[in-house]
Amino acid sequence: MFRRTFTSTLAVALCASTAMAQDLPQANSEYFTAAQELLAERIAAENNTRPAKNVILFVADGMGVGTNYGIRLFEGQQQGMLGEEHNLPHDLFRHSALIKTYNINAQTPDSAPTAGAMNTGAKQVFNTINLDETAVFDDCSSEQPLALFSEMMSDAGRSVGFVASPSVAHATPAAVYARTANRNWFHDAPEGCRDIATQLVDQMEAGVIDVALGGGARDFAGEGVAVEKGTGRRPDGQNLLERIAGLDVQYVFDAETLAASDRSQPVIGLFANADMAYEHDRPDTEPSLTDMTIAAIEHLSTNEEGYYLMVEAGRVDHALHGGNAYRAFEDGVQFAEAIRAAQEMVDEDTLIIVTADHEHVISFQGYCGRGSSVVGLCMDISDDQIEHSGEPVLAADGLPYTVVTFGNGAGSVLIEQEDGTYSGSRPELTQEEVTDPDYLQQALIPMTSETHSGVDVALWATGPWAHLFGGTMDQETIFHVMHHAVFGAQDAAQ
Amino acid sequence: MNRRGFLATASGAVLAAPFLTRTTLAAEPRVRLRELYNNDMSFTEFATENEGIRVAIEGFMAPPLKADSSFYVLTNRPMAVCPFCSDAAEWPNDILAVYAQRVVNVIPFNVKIITRGTLSLGTYTDPELGFVSRVRLMDAVQERA
Repeated sequence: MFRRTFTSTLAVALCASTAMAQDLPQANSEYFTAAQELLAERIAAENNTRPAKNVILFVADGMGVGTNYGIRLFEGQQQGMLGEEHNLPHDLFRHSALIKTYNINAQTPDSAPTAGAMNTGAKQVFNTINLDETAVFDDCSSEQPLALFSEMMSDAGRSVGFVASPSVAHATPAAVYARTANRNWFHDAPEGCRDIATQLVDQMEAGVIDVALGGGARDFAGEGVAVEKGTGRRPDGQNLLERIAGLDVQYVFDAETLAASDRSQPVIGLFANADMAYEHDRPDTEPSLTDMTIAAIEHLSTNEEGYYLMVEAGRVDHALHGGNAYRAFEDGVQFAEAIRAAQEMVDEDTLIIVTADHEHVISFQGYCGRGSSVVGLCMDISDDQIEHSGEPVLAADGLPYTVVTFGNGAGSVLIEQEDGTYSGSRPELTQEEVTDPDYLQQALIPMTSETHSGVDVALWATGPWAHLFGGTMDQETIFHVMHHAVFGAQDAAQ
Repeated sequence: MNRRGFLATASGAVLAAPFLTRTTLAAEPRVRLRELYNNDMSFTEFATENEGIRVAIEGFMAPPLKADSSFYVLTNRPMAVCPFCSDAAEWPNDILAVYAQRVVNVIPFNVKIITRGTLSLGTYTDPELGFVSRVRLMDAVQERA
């Protein structure tokens, strides 16, 4: 009741906002006028209720609200800004929500069941993909498969594809096409179970998956068998690439062969042995996430009925696991580039969703002045200028600290001693040292790998039925909005 | 004499170069591991120019493959073992195989070290471990950075 009353009151106030603005002393503030312009846009905006022809789901693995903030500042600072004022493309989408990410049996989720929830509309069990709630990890006899959004789209005559910077058999892309009791069965599974790479080929043979681009060449050939960009690891000795060749599916393995591929035919691209390179380390011969996204849209767009594309920036997550903010943010910038490229290629018939599967234990320190490098030291707030003072803020131990730190991980200041105990202290830091791309930010709890966290992530959306997102939602709602945007709205229109 | 000088001199005795001085050591080319590789994994000019020469490389000691061994792998960043990464069973491309002079005292994976040894390039398969390396340091000694 209060909310409705408040909204009504606000609507009246907004009608008079221009007149109101002229009377206020802050009316000439550029912040104030920019906010007024945004307000006017929002008042004039109408919800898009046409049926969605295409759906593009962008997932930056592990990109919680904090990491998105870090990427925003990193990209802005790369472009010469102070950083805080910058916006990533999805920051400007009109619709957003907070997303709860827990798994059926885990407060802290992993990428398999979270991606599964997005693709099926139901929460799932830790470390499993697209199985019902009775699934037992590592036991394929417990597999009760769920129906996939990709299969629904394919049944409706639409094309389906995915782009991923890890292996194409990794958890997030696997959730588009596979069901498994163990997310790690990339190329090997117990007798009677089906490994994930084999399931991808099954789904390409079934006509469900038309475009699959990523790493993971090792998952498609027998142990020790040399293939483009890698060496096979399959203990069953199967050469899935030979099977693919019999399906009239194009096989590409570098930027050049991807660029030359026939857009009207299905394609699989395996550009690395396991994961593709971090953007910071990527050789020119390897396509970027943006290159792959553009190619995927060009392929899928040849189907006039429409398509579903999932794009995963998977190595944001890996860099965070390594405690290395620089590579996480640089891969995040590449993710943003891919979103921009997609926006330029599609029209109002396309629902674009940008989100993450889970958060990490990344944190951002204070009180830093404007323009402090987000991968550098926290510089003091200046009293007489907008930009920071250039002097590092000192902690109670008299030492500077970085803007980014981690709650746990390889950067822990507690180091294992010869007697097996852990102790340590924070070392003196320099700006040169901490802005190095290989620097690992300080962490507290010593662990061999930094962990996920259960904190909500954000979601941004634009296009048909994007306005259905809002408030705080469970992750599986993503499937339901995608499904309604395509099928529910279509039924209503007929 | 500081600790670094002491260790280097002590190891120098085993190297049949017992009279190395700190001045001599300072002239030893010292780079970070990443400076051996280009992004396309070809060797850098530094690597090719210093093949067969004693160099000092900064990096991190990956958890050893076996106990009481003189062999270990040097990594560019601490070898975080991510249970959810598809390359969990893979080594990074930019590593350095180290054959130390003695059985190695394990140094935690996230403590920066300096390894000194003779740079060796070219693919080599360790006959005992089966470990395939593209670049190695031989007769190496290591210390915390």
